[in-house]
Amino acid sequence: MTDKAAIILDKVCKYYHRGSETVHAVQNVSLTINNGEYVAIVGHSGSGKTTLLNLMGCLDRPSKGDVSITGNRTANRSEKELTEIRKNSIGFIFQQFFLIPTLTVLQNVQLPALFAKNPQDKKAADYLQMVGLGKRLKHLPSQLSGGEMQRVAIARSLINDPPILLADEPTGNLDSHNAETIMNLFEKLNNQGKTIVVVTHNRDLVKRCSRAVHIEDGNIKEN
Amino acid sequence: MKFTTVALSNLRRNPVRSIITGLSLAVSAATLCVVLSLDKGYSSAVTDELVNKTGVHLYITKEGCPIEAASVIAQGGLSPLYVSEEIVEHVNETGLFEAIMPFKLFAITTDDGTRTDIFMGVTESVKSVKPQWVYEKGGWFTCDSSVILGAEMARIEQLDIGDKMYSEHFGKEFTVSGILERNYSQDDGTFFIPLKTAQSLVNSEGKLSAIALKLKDISTIDESKIQLRAMMPGDYYVLGSKELSDGILQFFSSTRVIMLVMVIVAFLISGFGIVNTMLMAVLERRKEIAYLKCIGAGGNDLLKLISLESISICISGSAAGTILGSILSPVFGNIMRGFLVAYIPTGNIAQPNLVIALTAFSGCTIIGFVCSLYPSLRASQIIPMEVLRND
Repeated sequence: MTDKAAIILDKVCKYYHRGSETVHAVQNVSLTINNGEYVAIVGHSGSGKTTLLNLMGCLDRPSKGDVSITGNRTANRSEKELTEIRKNSIGFIFQQFFLIPTLTVLQNVQLPALFAKNPQDKKAADYLQMVGLGKRLKHLPSQLSGGEMQRVAIARSLINDPPILLADEPTGNLDSHNAETIMNLFEKLNNQGKTIVVVTHNRDLVKRCSRAVHIEDGNIKEN
Repeated sequence: MKFTTVALSNLRRNPVRSIITGLSLAVSAATLCVVLSLDKGYSSAVTDELVNKTGVHLYITKEGCPIEAASVIAQGGLSPLYVSEEIVEHVNETGLFEAIMPFKLFAITTDDGTRTDIFMGVTESVKSVKPQWVYEKGGWFTCDSSVILGAEMARIEQLDIGDKMYSEHFGKEFTVSGILERNYSQDDGTFFIPLKTAQSLVNSEGKLSAIALKLKDISTIDESKIQLRAMMPGDYYVLGSKELSDGILQFFSSTRVIMLVMVIVAFLISGFGIVNTMLMAVLERRKEIAYLKCIGAGGNDLLKLISLESISICISGSAAGTILGSILSPVFGNIMRGFLVAYIPTGNIAQPNLVIALTAFSGCTIIGFVCSLYPSLRASQIIPMEVLRND
């Protein structure tokens, strides 16, 4: 383990059962992502990309092996401890945004800070300003376009100032113009020192990353 | 931003469902409020009227349990129990009493069972022990076949002073000599006739239902009671006003049980309603809850969030129900007045107060909250990956 490692996957396997079938989603994967890296995880559908991302985000536990986040080993941690790690170290961005429809844009961004018991009202407005939505604080998600919703989701992922951002198909639901905006934002955040791991099929996005990890059948084929 | 902001915003997603759930609790709170108001009100009104307001301090009746004595005094019927009229003279000789009111009370039900008329044979001493006895028209009996009508009976029979009233049951014609002002007591539905006439109508010459006594000095009640018991035949009973009111309230206990069952049923319905609604709300939002966990929500955060949603519904529903119950209690009191069989007091049968309102409000809120715990726990225990993988 090195001080500069943001995420370390050490011989990680993930099996799960679907009916009588055992799915080997991730097989013996070892991977180190350093602080400040901008990494793309690519591969065909069902190759295990999202499972790998979920393991990095402590949403899932490995069947074998260990995952370390900013130097904290996660094996044998309780659900509460994993929640703390997620809260303090990781920001999530999803393909489907998952904004609360009855909360305003500003309130949606404030939500993770509420769970962290660290109200960041001013900071939330600043992040929304940064993603170009400073004038839409009081709008509801239903009044925004897909690209704008994704920018809100990015601002939300930043509110607790996590060192790591994990994004699952962040441009998957967006047109090329909005995808470009998001890619620019990721680049900007990476330049500010955030470690970013993106699961994507978008070749333009992959090109902008400092490294691409190719997954096939749960194994790293190319790194 | 606070948790309550998020919780209240979640309730706005399906306002109709939130309102209906709140209404189910409102019905429970209103039911509890009405029932407690009626229970407290009836007990207070009976006690107030029979113990505090009436001039009667003691009753002499034939020995039996206080409930049976209360039945004879309050309702009449055709009880075989009677007090000999000769006792009145002995009681008078004690010099302890300011007023002595012998009376004969009986109820006559028509053959088809649709109507029951209450007749009370009285002497002029009735005025001394019934402070609420005020004539609207006319006055005291002018002959043996005179009748004084309670306000409700005058309204039903459409009779005025001097009109004739024929009783098919007794085959006798009465002349209306007086009509009483409405006092919202049993008097309103009573035919008052001269004591002697009443006794002869039911072939009970010299027999009384009971004797009501008003003491000169209320502080001598215990000694007077002992003295009276000593001079009465062994099978006579000397009953205090409090014992009488307690006896009457015993009649009310079965009604009380029925009302309690109503409250329990209302609570069960609204309790299951809360569980069902909140569980549906949680299951519908499983994916969203999973993502909330992804962005840092812990089990306790979700427990707090869902509980706050439930509490908001419970508080608003209980408050609305309590207010509604307090407003409707007098209406139900008046409805109940028409169905009471034991005794109809003059005062308000329903008496909502702050304690009752607080009991109804807090009781419903607590029950609603307890019922919401299971859905809240289900939400807090959602494992994000299970939901994300399966949905």
